[in-house]
Amino acid sequence: MSAAEDLTSAVDDLFTIATRELRTVVRTPAVVALAVVFALTVVGVAAAGSGARGGYVPLVLDLLPFVEALVPLLGFALCYRTVLSDRRSGELDVLQTFGVSRPAYVGGVFLGRSLALVAVVFGSLLVAGATVPVLSPEKPTFLALNAAADSPAAFARFAVLAVVFALSTASVALAVSAAARTARQAIALAVGLLVAFVVGVDAAAVAGLATGRFGIDTVPHLLALSPNGAFRSLVFGVAVETGQATTPLVALVGLGGWLAGALFVAVVTAWKPVE
Amino acid sequence: MVREVVSEGDSTSQSASAASSVAIDASGLSHAFGDVVVLDDLSLTVEPGEIVALVGPNGSGKTTLLQFLSKVRAPNAGTVTVGAGDRTRVGYLPQRPEFREGFTVADTLRFYTQFVEEGVDIGTTLDRVGLSEAADRRVEALSGGMTRLLGLGRALVGDPDVVVLDEPASGLDPGMVERLFEIVAELADEGTAVVLSSHNLGPVERTADRVVVLDGGRFVATGSPQELVESAGATDLQTAFGALVSTEEVDGR
Repeated sequence: MSAAEDLTSAVDDLFTIATRELRTVVRTPAVVALAVVFALTVVGVAAAGSGARGGYVPLVLDLLPFVEALVPLLGFALCYRTVLSDRRSGELDVLQTFGVSRPAYVGGVFLGRSLALVAVVFGSLLVAGATVPVLSPEKPTFLALNAAADSPAAFARFAVLAVVFALSTASVALAVSAAARTARQAIALAVGLLVAFVVGVDAAAVAGLATGRFGIDTVPHLLALSPNGAFRSLVFGVAVETGQATTPLVALVGLGGWLAGALFVAVVTAWKPVE
Repeated sequence: MVREVVSEGDSTSQSASAASSVAIDASGLSHAFGDVVVLDDLSLTVEPGEIVALVGPNGSGKTTLLQFLSKVRAPNAGTVTVGAGDRTRVGYLPQRPEFREGFTVADTLRFYTQFVEEGVDIGTTLDRVGLSEAADRRVEALSGGMTRLLGLGRALVGDPDVVVLDEPASGLDPGMVERLFEIVAELADEGTAVVLSSHNLGPVERTADRVVVLDGGRFVATGSPQELVESAGATDLQTAFGALVSTEEVDGR
């Protein structure tokens, strides 16, 4: 079999596994329930808060803390036991006998689960964004307004960044599920990383600044150490354009690094290949 | 006469010349979990169309050895060659097959057929393992025995040249045990090499071409069922088994 045929076969395997993962997700009541809670929360914040009445950027600022907290939760719920469950059930052994490679398996699981995750996150945010034209008051005609400061484009950028953030948390959860050998390990790792992402890195940055250990210039780099911090930096730097001095490149590298690095860890730890 | 298993030195020279004609060529397999030696310098060859039954007390290392022969796990030392090359698929039935809940029996088999190049008739596979009437049943609604039969069906997807079955008869009623060994015999008649472990020594005695007795991480005897029975001065394989192994040495392997 040629290298091209090998690649084609691996891609076919990847899509086969992705399809099953997607079908599994929609048949898992707990995950569906969590997705509904996420969607209701996001849309509820938009409808009940004042942000949507002020425009797209105020809505982004309203939604940001909820998205920061709930997206990792959703990503971890979807992925933190996938590889582990397949290992415990003997599925990984069987897939090896069918010649499925580690990249095809991990890629398929990630693609299938991510499709569900992206659909929930992006779909919920789109619905939330759609409340702005409905809830915003009529703009007075006697004022000159700068439309560039608040536009659907800003909200669209936020939604896209939220999707990238969701993908990075899903890949970290997948790495947890591949590296953990027991359910207890998986839960401990998942909870530990969630706490570190949501509060740990921010708290460390604040403590470092307070004690003078870190200078103000290091803040963007510190925030890029966690997917949450990197996402927040990108939202302020790209989506709502606060005009901060530093470029969001560090945050982008941070978020991309978590995504790629975690997928690499998942591939390497999924199983030990037999020569 | 009981054939002793070839030693490490013998197997190396034999395997070089016979590698192209054997279905499985395992040589010098050793493995330990921590300080506990599970397998100690084992060599085994299996020919196409041959049924080799691996018997031994609980914890004797059968499952570990079958995982090595299936190439789903690598031993600390030794080599396993399956078929003509690395791409020969081994149909593998794990000791406790489990399937993803929420899918039907037919859906489950259909998933695995997508990994093999040749077209697979799911109906034929289900018929072969006796699950045709359960095709639309969800896997979580299957009994333990039916789950094992589905595992057997999965192992047979793509008509592999080598099939490794870990306790395939466990949990099956006597009628299904007989049917399972009939399937195994049919596979061998078609040229498939079958290695299985089982505590059902009656059907093993009637079906296997060769029985390998594993105890304490070593092969203590190997030969046709009749050879083993005669060498032990026993009346049947069950009695011979009792004479060949020390069943009290169960240490959780």
